[in-house]
Amino acid sequence: MLPLMLKELTADTIAGRARAAGEPAWLIERRETAWSFFAQAAPPVWRRTDLSGLDADALSVVPGSVALSVVWDEAMAAQGVVVKPLRQALASHGELIRQYLDAAVPPLEHKFSALRAALWQDGAFVYVPRGVAAEAPIHVRYTLPEGSRTTFPRTLVIVEATAQVTVIEDFVGPDQLAPALAAPVSEIFAGPGSKVRFISVQRWGGGVYHIGGQRLLLDRDADAEWTSIALGGQVQHIEAETTLKGDGSRVNWLGATFASGTQTLLSAPWLRHVGHSAESFMQFKTVVNDTGYSVFDGMIKIERESSSTSTRLEEHALHLSPKARNDSIPGLKIDTNSVIKGGHASTSGDVEEEQLFYMQSRGISKADAKRMIVMGFFNPALDTIPLEELRRELEALIEGKI
Amino acid sequence: MSSDLVIHDLQARIGEKEILKGVNLTVRAGTIHAIMGPNGSGKSTLAHVIAGHPGYEVTGGEIWYKEHNVLELEPDERSKLGLFLAFQYPVAVPGVTVANFLRAAINAHRAQEGQDPKATAIPVAEFRKQLREGMKQLEMDESFARRYLNEGFSGGEKKRLEILQMTLLKPSMAVMDETDSGLDIDALRIVAEGVNRLAGPSMGALVITHYQRLLNYIKPQFVSVMMDGRIVRDGGPELALELEEKGYDWLREELAGAA
Ligand SMILES: Nc1ncnc2c1ncn2[C@@H]1O[C@H](COP(=O)(O)OP(=O)(O)OP(=O)(O)O)[C@@H](O)[C@H]1O
Ligand SMILES: [Mg+2]
Repeated sequence: MLPLMLKELTADTIAGRARAAGEPAWLIERRETAWSFFAQAAPPVWRRTDLSGLDADALSVVPGSVALSVVWDEAMAAQGVVVKPLRQALASHGELIRQYLDAAVPPLEHKFSALRAALWQDGAFVYVPRGVAAEAPIHVRYTLPEGSRTTFPRTLVIVEATAQVTVIEDFVGPDQLAPALAAPVSEIFAGPGSKVRFISVQRWGGGVYHIGGQRLLLDRDADAEWTSIALGGQVQHIEAETTLKGDGSRVNWLGATFASGTQTLLSAPWLRHVGHSAESFMQFKTVVNDTGYSVFDGMIKIERESSSTSTRLEEHALHLSPKARNDSIPGLKIDTNSVIKGGHASTSGDVEEEQLFYMQSRGISKADAKRMIVMGFFNPALDTIPLEELRRELEALIEGKI
Repeated sequence: MSSDLVIHDLQARIGEKEILKGVNLTVRAGTIHAIMGPNGSGKSTLAHVIAGHPGYEVTGGEIWYKEHNVLELEPDERSKLGLFLAFQYPVAVPGVTVANFLRAAINAHRAQEGQDPKATAIPVAEFRKQLREGMKQLEMDESFARRYLNEGFSGGEKKRLEILQMTLLKPSMAVMDETDSGLDIDALRIVAEGVNRLAGPSMGALVITHYQRLLNYIKPQFVSVMMDGRIVRDGGPELALELEEKGYDWLREELAGAA
């Protein structure tokens, strides 16, 4: 389809296109609602995310398609595992999608969430039926061909009770000559007693503005590991949340962010405790180099109905250049009177001279010592990546930024 | 090619504080040379300056080793020249495992200019073998190889790891800064045996210690005394015994009398 200029879009053109593409009525209606919200909403006030380099009037959208590839072990289909483009899944799993889509990330939260809900094009649909262990990782890659101006992908993962899955969501592409907008939404539903590993990798090329929404919703006794890796793009603003809704649910959430050059990479990971006896651990690590700027805007929210919560937050930052900056704004909001087991640790500083000297005194060059220290710093997150080749690619990317 | 370590009139300071005030010392190739001296006299500073710690400013003097002006070399180049410092306080490096660190160090030593580092790297099996043997000799559990460098190590474990590194890197001149401190009797014996296996014609050592008990195991041919940033007395093994027995005051008095 031909690209449409964003500034010329109306609820009617959007609905018209959706109808022509054969979308169900409920979806068309949602798009219209989202668009009218977008059209009248004021831009959000994000003090640490500078979008001035992105000219909205120059942006266009190609309805109906995103550049997407999925690598997975198709033998798992025999167990009932479904992996397919979301648009195709609308035909085969329409009712399921109607139920789950937008149920985790609220579409009408702010201007950008509405834009994403109105314009999403395609994405990945992963469904793991009850009791099935999908052993092999499912690798979803979204790309942004050179010259694209926008992409609005969606990932929807539904994991039924006691099922297991590993999903890697990977945003990767070449440098863009003109600023481009990537606005994805990822929703992961972990059913009762399920085990979910989710790895999100943002490694766009230069020039990309990534404004993403992600949410992992944990049902009773669900056990999740989430790794968030942010290396690419020009500006990143990711609002992510793990909702520990079910009693006894657990999450282990690791982050690795590296802002170099003139990048600004913001992550706002929230832990929301709702259920009883839920446990969360969050450890985000940040490296900044050159004039890079990174923001950790995390929050732990303990809701009124929760109890016996156990939570721990760690954020650590390493500076490789005196001009690089990072801001860390951890928050804690407690709405319950019940006892909470909690902890918080935070560090920020330069690579230690003493460490460099110690390593150099063994013959290792200063550059190699720095590289080993940074890699060691990111090790906990990198160790969770189940694909050797992907890990090597990320290590090479990190090395290039040191 | 001489492989004595020659230190001539070495002066160094940290900030405004003058610490080394003209150190003259020659450690002969293949010999064990002990340095003793009161707390704060500058022994660790000397060790750090030999290894090239960037925190000290060398304000005068020279260090020569294997016909190289050592003060002009980066710390890693000094290591590759065959110098080794066993730290009084080894540094923790989280996230870097002992095994990876050691392999990187060995490969740095094997690297040749103009050659692909992959071509000179130690084969994995060979590295594992050397590591296993070294750890066995020092009675270290194999699990140490997978732990992060010095992180959460006890004082004694850190010292053993220093000797393990020395064993694998095979320096020709080792500076050992209070390698005996923090060791129990058994560990002291194990570490001393480790040093003795290496010391000899192919490795000289400058052993910094406060205690004769180490020198019972590692027998020095030469003993020097450092006070207030200078070497104030040179002698043989009997000097260490004398210091052990009488402390430093007599020497101070003698020096004051001579002045
Ligand atoms: N980083 C530093 N900043 C300030 N002063 C220092 C620093 N390092 C060493 N000094 C000072 O230099 C002097 C010599 O210290 P050094 O550690 O070399 O002594 P030492 O002989 O090794 O003592 P010890 O027997 O206690 O190990 C001391 O007065 C010490 O306080
Ligand atoms: Mg000392």
